[in-house]
Amino acid sequence: MSGMRSITLGHYLPGTSILHRLDPRAKLLGLLVLIAALFLIKTFTGFILFGIFFVIAFLSSRLPWRYFMRGLRPVLYIVLFTLILHFLFTKGGQVFWRFGMLTIEENGVYLGSFMTLRLILLVITTLLVTLTTSPIAFADGIEFLLRPLRIFRVPGHEIAMMMTIALRFIPTLMEESDKIRKAQMARGADFESGNIFRRARNLVPLLVPLFVSAFRRADDLAVAMESRCYRGGENRTKMRQQQVTTLDYLGVFTTCGIAAVIVLTGV
Amino acid sequence: MISPIIETIQLSYDYTLDGEKVIRALDNISLEITEGEYVCLIGPNGSGKSTLARHLNALLLPAAGDVYVDGLLTGKEENRWEIRRRVGLVFQNPDNQIVATTVEEDVAFGLENMGIDPPLIRQRVAEALELVGMSSLAQHAPHLLSGGQKQRLAIAGIIAMRPRCLVLDEPTAMLDPRGRREVLSTIRMLNRQEKVTVVHITHFMEETLDADRIIVMDRGQIAYSGTPEEVFSGEIDLGSLEMDMPAIPALASALREKGMPVPQNTLTVDQLVEYLC
Amino acid sequence: MLIEARDLSYTYMPGTPFQVDALKKVNMSIARGEFVGVIGETGSGKSTLVQHFNGLLKPTGGELLVEGKNIWEGNTNLRTLRSRVALLFQYPEHQLFEETVFKDVAFGPRNLGMSEAELEQRVRFGLASMGLDFDTYRERSPFHLSGGEKRRVAMAGIMAMRPEVVVLDEPTAGMDPAGRLKFMEQVSRLHREENLTVILVTHNMEEIARLAEKLFVFYRGELVMQGLPAEVFKSVDLIRETGLEIPVLSDLLQQLLRKGKDIRTDLFTVPEVAEEILRFSREEWK
Repeated sequence: MSGMRSITLGHYLPGTSILHRLDPRAKLLGLLVLIAALFLIKTFTGFILFGIFFVIAFLSSRLPWRYFMRGLRPVLYIVLFTLILHFLFTKGGQVFWRFGMLTIEENGVYLGSFMTLRLILLVITTLLVTLTTSPIAFADGIEFLLRPLRIFRVPGHEIAMMMTIALRFIPTLMEESDKIRKAQMARGADFESGNIFRRARNLVPLLVPLFVSAFRRADDLAVAMESRCYRGGENRTKMRQQQVTTLDYLGVFTTCGIAAVIVLTGV
Repeated sequence: MISPIIETIQLSYDYTLDGEKVIRALDNISLEITEGEYVCLIGPNGSGKSTLARHLNALLLPAAGDVYVDGLLTGKEENRWEIRRRVGLVFQNPDNQIVATTVEEDVAFGLENMGIDPPLIRQRVAEALELVGMSSLAQHAPHLLSGGQKQRLAIAGIIAMRPRCLVLDEPTAMLDPRGRREVLSTIRMLNRQEKVTVVHITHFMEETLDADRIIVMDRGQIAYSGTPEEVFSGEIDLGSLEMDMPAIPALASALREKGMPVPQNTLTVDQLVEYLC
Repeated sequence: MLIEARDLSYTYMPGTPFQVDALKKVNMSIARGEFVGVIGETGSGKSTLVQHFNGLLKPTGGELLVEGKNIWEGNTNLRTLRSRVALLFQYPEHQLFEETVFKDVAFGPRNLGMSEAELEQRVRFGLASMGLDFDTYRERSPFHLSGGEKRRVAMAGIMAMRPEVVVLDEPTAGMDPAGRLKFMEQVSRLHREENLTVILVTHNMEEIARLAEKLFVFYRGELVMQGLPAEVFKSVDLIRETGLEIPVLSDLLQQLLRKGKDIRTDLFTVPEVAEEILRFSREEWK
């Protein structure tokens, strides 16, 4: 289907805000620090401070909040699942509610809310970075950050190349899966009803062609890359030379500082 | 006498199917392509066109016989990268040959592989995009381009490497008429203006009319080779090769059969209109 | 009218920065037994349009009627609709997934809930309609066929549902000349002999001019022209503006007409055009 523009989770939205202009390496470093901070925070105060920092960062990015929320929808289920699991199965403390065998107890509510908040903050912070970083810059950033790991034989270039290719082909494969799904629906296939086992079995007509096509594309691409003299990362140059600016240093230091404050008040 | 840019000498190639059954894809092909030539390769599916194309830049190596590119033997390991720089391949499916997530990054891909200095890469990328008329799209994501634009992007990625010869394997098969026009005029411009040798594989007979030479392939062999005027004169039975004639030569030939003396070299609408008026 | 679109509009991802108006207030109708062509450049909305004909897409504005009934009102069974108005997507060989040709062709009828005995009848009919021999192909793996065979098997899978209408989205893309001809001959035969309504979406102007009784031209989501092929291809400038081409033979006839020759311009095949040229040159001799 030609007219459709596939949109994936965390699809980059071009812009000119500070967050957009930051070097991807600075953003990735900042993100790593913030994720670490999230796992160190032990109190709700810490989360509230983190939340305030996030809101400021989000507002400065000038992303449309509706678009942002849309990107969150797929993880909503995981969040709800975590919440329910903790509410029902973590025991201890005062009993709030009882229905036959089921009880909801103090520790469950506490831990459930805590984990859920952590998960939500983790997802929205990451989403904020992916929405303001072009995929290519993202891959460059990863390749750079993995460079020190070369001594442990971590193939930084290959990982970055795989990421680039994955990013390049996600929209193509989404379009393809939409097309195959419709082609099978045109032959009366049903992907929407029945119980979970039935549904899984009904996916065969979609998955087999999709895999076949992905392999065909991979094959074609490998030949095309070989034909354009690709032979791994060695002796390879890069057109994009990244320039680190004062803004980037400032960004990383402020993030580290704020993260430290949050962690110290929140431990 | 100028030495040919591409020369195949008694080239044969076999595909094995299910480990045993052998299919002869190319059978004793001897062919010379001169620098600056525009050659069209036609023939039914399975006649060996794509297999031949892949021999021209050492993606495949002959089972028997030799292939020389610009004097370099493709069978020699150390020649491989130099050959691939000199002969660029553009494939049928534009989606499956674009590597990067922006237009300019994709054009840069080959140059980066060659280890060229970043400032020079930038310059060559800009030149290549200018040449195919896509400078304004440098920052675009490839999946948002039209089919014709994707194919021109693929051509730009090859041209940036400054090849001597461009081999295109059904580059217009998946395009709409506008895309086809864009790609064809780009190929012609590169041949005439930039003097790039072109080998163009196609199923659309109309696209072959202004080639210097048409090579008709059939079951792994060269069935016929000649100018468009010769191939479409009506004297060769293209039907038995499962090929058809372009509309105007077919019409001219039909008119000759009915006794109207239309010249044998009538290929285009304009020529026929001129004759009839 | 068999299929009718009234002010049909479709917008992809409304309310996002990526919103695209793929179809804008399209009004058109197709009668039973017609062979119509839908042409337009990539992204003109023609693929989006045909996906409305069997309820794969729900209009975001206007309505789509099949036999006078809005398919999104009341209780239209979409599965039944899709077996009556069958759609063959571009590169249909990519949808094959079963171990044998028989099973793949039977997929559609099986989804309609048919018995094993009926299934075999349907598969026989489907394969025969594409000129494929039942016994030769039934046990073969669809993945080991040639490109042309795969495509005909895919079409057989559509025909096995015994549709009244088939929508073919660029069915001959990427095929060689002989393959194209063979495929379209089968489709024409089904149109003639089975009174199959055919809606052909294509980039091949020569093919559509020869085969279609009526053309719909799309440009940027709008239906900009409709009529007999001869009428449509007379509007040379408009056709070129929409990114399309005039068939070579029409181009020739129109140039001759413009040069003051008394000649018909509604012919699209080599023998017909040859006859016409001979006729007018004989008359000129007199």
